[in-house]
Amino acid sequence: MSKIYVRNLTKTYGGLKALNNVSLDIESGEFLVLLGPSGCGKTTLLRCLAGLETPDEGEIIMGEKVVFSAALNIMVPPGKRNLGMVFQSYALWPHMTVRDNVKFGLDVLKTPTPVANTRLDDVLGDVGLGALGERYPSELSGGQQQRVALARLLATQPPIFLMDEPLSNLDARLRMDMRVELKRFQSNAKATTVYVTHDQTEAMTMSTRVVVMKDGEIQQISPPDQLYRQPENTFVADFVGMPRINLIELTAENNVSPCYSNGDLSLDIGWVPGCSHITVGARPEDISIKDKTVSGEENFKISAVLPNGPETIVQLTRGKTTLITRVSHDSKFVEGQTVDLSFNVNALNIYATKTGSLIMRDPVEDLKAC
Amino acid sequence: MLKFFDSSLTGSGKFHKAITDPVNLVMLILLVILAYLVIWPFIQLLIETLTWGDRDRRISPDAVPGKFTSFYWQQATSGPLSRKMLYGPLLNTLITGVTATIMALLAGGVLAWCVVRSDMPGKRWLQPVLTLPYIVPSFAIALAWEAVFRSPKVGGQPGIYEALLGVGPPEWLSYGAFPISITLAIHYFPFAYLLVAGALATIDSQMEESALISGAGRLMTLRRITFPVVAPAFLAALILTFGKTIGQFALPFILGAPAQFHTVATMVYANLTLGLDALAFVLAIVLIGMSLISIWLSNRFVGNKTRRFETISGKGFRSREIALGGWRWPIFIAVALFAFVVGILPLILLGVQSIMLIDGFYGLENLTKHFWVGRSNPDIAFGEPGVLHNNIILGATWNTLKLAFISAIIASVIGLVIAYITVRRAHNPLARALDQIAFIPFLFPTIAFGAMYLTLFAEPVGPIPALYGTFTLLVIISVVSRLPYSVKTGVTAVTQIGQELEEAAELAGASWVMRFRRIIMPLSSSGVLSGMMVSFVGVMRELSLIVLLITPSTRVLMTVGFGYAEEGLTQLSNALVLIVAVLTIIGELILMWIGKGKMARLREKQS
Ligand SMILES: Nc1ncnc2c1ncn2[C@@H]1O[C@H](COP(=O)(O)OP(=O)(O)OP(=O)(O)O)[C@@H](O)[C@H]1O
Ligand SMILES: [Mg+2]
Repeated sequence: MSKIYVRNLTKTYGGLKALNNVSLDIESGEFLVLLGPSGCGKTTLLRCLAGLETPDEGEIIMGEKVVFSAALNIMVPPGKRNLGMVFQSYALWPHMTVRDNVKFGLDVLKTPTPVANTRLDDVLGDVGLGALGERYPSELSGGQQQRVALARLLATQPPIFLMDEPLSNLDARLRMDMRVELKRFQSNAKATTVYVTHDQTEAMTMSTRVVVMKDGEIQQISPPDQLYRQPENTFVADFVGMPRINLIELTAENNVSPCYSNGDLSLDIGWVPGCSHITVGARPEDISIKDKTVSGEENFKISAVLPNGPETIVQLTRGKTTLITRVSHDSKFVEGQTVDLSFNVNALNIYATKTGSLIMRDPVEDLKAC
Repeated sequence: MLKFFDSSLTGSGKFHKAITDPVNLVMLILLVILAYLVIWPFIQLLIETLTWGDRDRRISPDAVPGKFTSFYWQQATSGPLSRKMLYGPLLNTLITGVTATIMALLAGGVLAWCVVRSDMPGKRWLQPVLTLPYIVPSFAIALAWEAVFRSPKVGGQPGIYEALLGVGPPEWLSYGAFPISITLAIHYFPFAYLLVAGALATIDSQMEESALISGAGRLMTLRRITFPVVAPAFLAALILTFGKTIGQFALPFILGAPAQFHTVATMVYANLTLGLDALAFVLAIVLIGMSLISIWLSNRFVGNKTRRFETISGKGFRSREIALGGWRWPIFIAVALFAFVVGILPLILLGVQSIMLIDGFYGLENLTKHFWVGRSNPDIAFGEPGVLHNNIILGATWNTLKLAFISAIIASVIGLVIAYITVRRAHNPLARALDQIAFIPFLFPTIAFGAMYLTLFAEPVGPIPALYGTFTLLVIISVVSRLPYSVKTGVTAVTQIGQELEEAAELAGASWVMRFRRIIMPLSSSGVLSGMMVSFVGVMRELSLIVLLITPSTRVLMTVGFGYAEEGLTQLSNALVLIVAVLTIIGELILMWIGKGKMARLREKQS
């Protein structure tokens, strides 16, 4: 019922295309996360959905209703779109108490006082601010302010939630707790949610689908696990994942063989993508290393060992190639050591170096190879 | 005494250390000096109004000089003259002050909104023009008004109004409450504008957008969100502006005195010229009382609220301009026209007036350069030579620049030292006392402050010779009156200098004086420099503060100009005020330029 359709949305500021022909379907009740580097147009897209920004081209449909259409010259004002928004700065009204802040939306809807009061008590109780209703926003901690912004959104029970980096002003601990709560409120309300963040963990843990953007264009729309396992181009591959993916540029040894190399490393990827220059995307966990047994040509030297709690990040070097791998925290590798390495070939993604886009592995050919 | 110094120090050795700490020493010296220059004059003023003076034998047979009396207060508050002396002027002050303040706030508020929150074109050059009326001496605006609306009925030559329309303006338009309120409003609206613009600039437009999303319309958003958020700043601006208007002396004097319209400030001056010193002092105290009440009110109503209303601006702060749509150009034209009329037209009028041979006679053949470059001619202006040949004026120009320059430097350095002590010794009660004493001159309407210094240093005190009539006295009062501002500038500058920078120098063995000279001063220099320039301009256009203390040898441009205006030598006074206006504008331009240079340097650092 509150599905959102975005069609060919374009928004320019001066000469800059903040959004370039963006199309997107958002399912009812979905938790959609917008992810991307700074300045890629996430906030702009969100503000266009809210009606705070008028796009130049395209169409936005919410449920059955066209809320924006450049062609039909329709622009429904923000207050008539029946949605709620949490701003990055929270945008709490400093001259109103917590209670009045939350009540404002109900006032606008002319909710009868007794109903409004019950609703207020419920919402404030839910977000854990029951006792702080008479305080002013400047008398609250950052986390409490965040909850007020959330309560304000929940009070009028809109079917659509928009959130622009709502947790970015909180410290790491609090952010983790709030994630869980946000998610709970969202699924209770069954609200269609569009959520902007910089934080990958946030994107991965909360979303049903993630939209990765770059320079005003959508790069990929996928559920989080697929986004990690199968990025559709090298930009997404590089952007998603910590530590970063290894992107290794290789050249075919000959046209029919699945063997590729770059002078430091040669790799049998197991199938023939039909491209002479490929970029292999290997997640750190897809590279495993073990102590050197026989001395041979293809050995990498450990150039850094970085313990990080449950895992240890190991940096390997050979010639011009540097690789990152991730091993268990109890492994005993030391800097300077020479190691053998092997790839989990099935997990690798192969990109055409020229275009940077993923080359799909043809299942039939795969069978033949077996 | 010990606890006033560093609380961690105990025992006599530590006491010795505390007393030899140069910062404590400087603090004590400054405290004593400032108490003498700020608090003592006020007490002395009070004593003067409560004791018989030397010459009072002729007023009352039982007057014993130096003995207590409530005679003056009774005379002012309940005597037959009290209406003319106190209540009339008090009422006039309130009427003109309140009217002017409301007009200034309305104009300033609307303009601030246009410049800060809307997409009106031409903001970059409108903004400086809009602040012009506050930069030039208030007196200039009064003279410009007079040039237009002067009425021969009161005396002198007809103004432009009569020359154009053939009939004289009604008297209420020429002199009295109406013109005084309007010109005060013109002079002070930029002040209100700056305060409100500052408040508007801190509004996160997401606050308004949030209301829009809740379904509130534009008007409801303005009414329930924007207005309440700026209300405290608006109220503060209201009270501060009012406090400033009541201390104005020159402007109401020019536009009021010819019609026997007096405010408390002009009455102080009038009484002093009549030799009624004690009565003048009573009025000065009344004026101080009004100022104190308004500041107290502002703290009471605004202080708590602003802190509570402080907009929380963290990451994600946005300030977006509101599209005026079709109103964009009409609004621009209206604002530009307004800026021209209040900012530029008065200066043009003064310029034109200063080159008219016979005042009030409008025609090309009447134009002359005489008042600028002419030699003395007994037929014109009682033989006063033109501005550029007039020794009195050249001397006054020199005095003006000297006074402004010396006062600005001393005020800035002392301000920085006090700021340093306030910031670095925040927990020392004596440091706080010093900070507060330095702020007190802000509470004194300038003419009242000038009146206090009439008696201070009138006779030698200990090693200090009598200073009345000396240039030194002018420097002292100018410095003290600038201190509230220079301390504020200094505090901003010092707060930005990390304690560690200084500690590093301390570890290297630098003494406090050396640290102050080599670390604090250079690092705060850009802020202090612009503060110095502000003081320079402020002292240059000051009249009310020093008008009572001037003697022929210490004349400055403003007082000479005021003297000419009193004598009816319009062209000369216009020429002089125009010179001061141009000097202050140059000062402001330099200030803008310094500011810009600083910005550029900062940008360089960031990139
Ligand atoms: N009001 C505006 N005027 C001009 N340019 C703008 C405006 N708002 C955004 N932009 C530009 O549009 C582009 C996209 O901005 P947007 O705020 O959507 O980025 P973002 O993805 O939200 O970035 P961040 O993660 O840093 O918040 C940026 O290059 C920005 O400079
Ligand atoms: Mg953003």
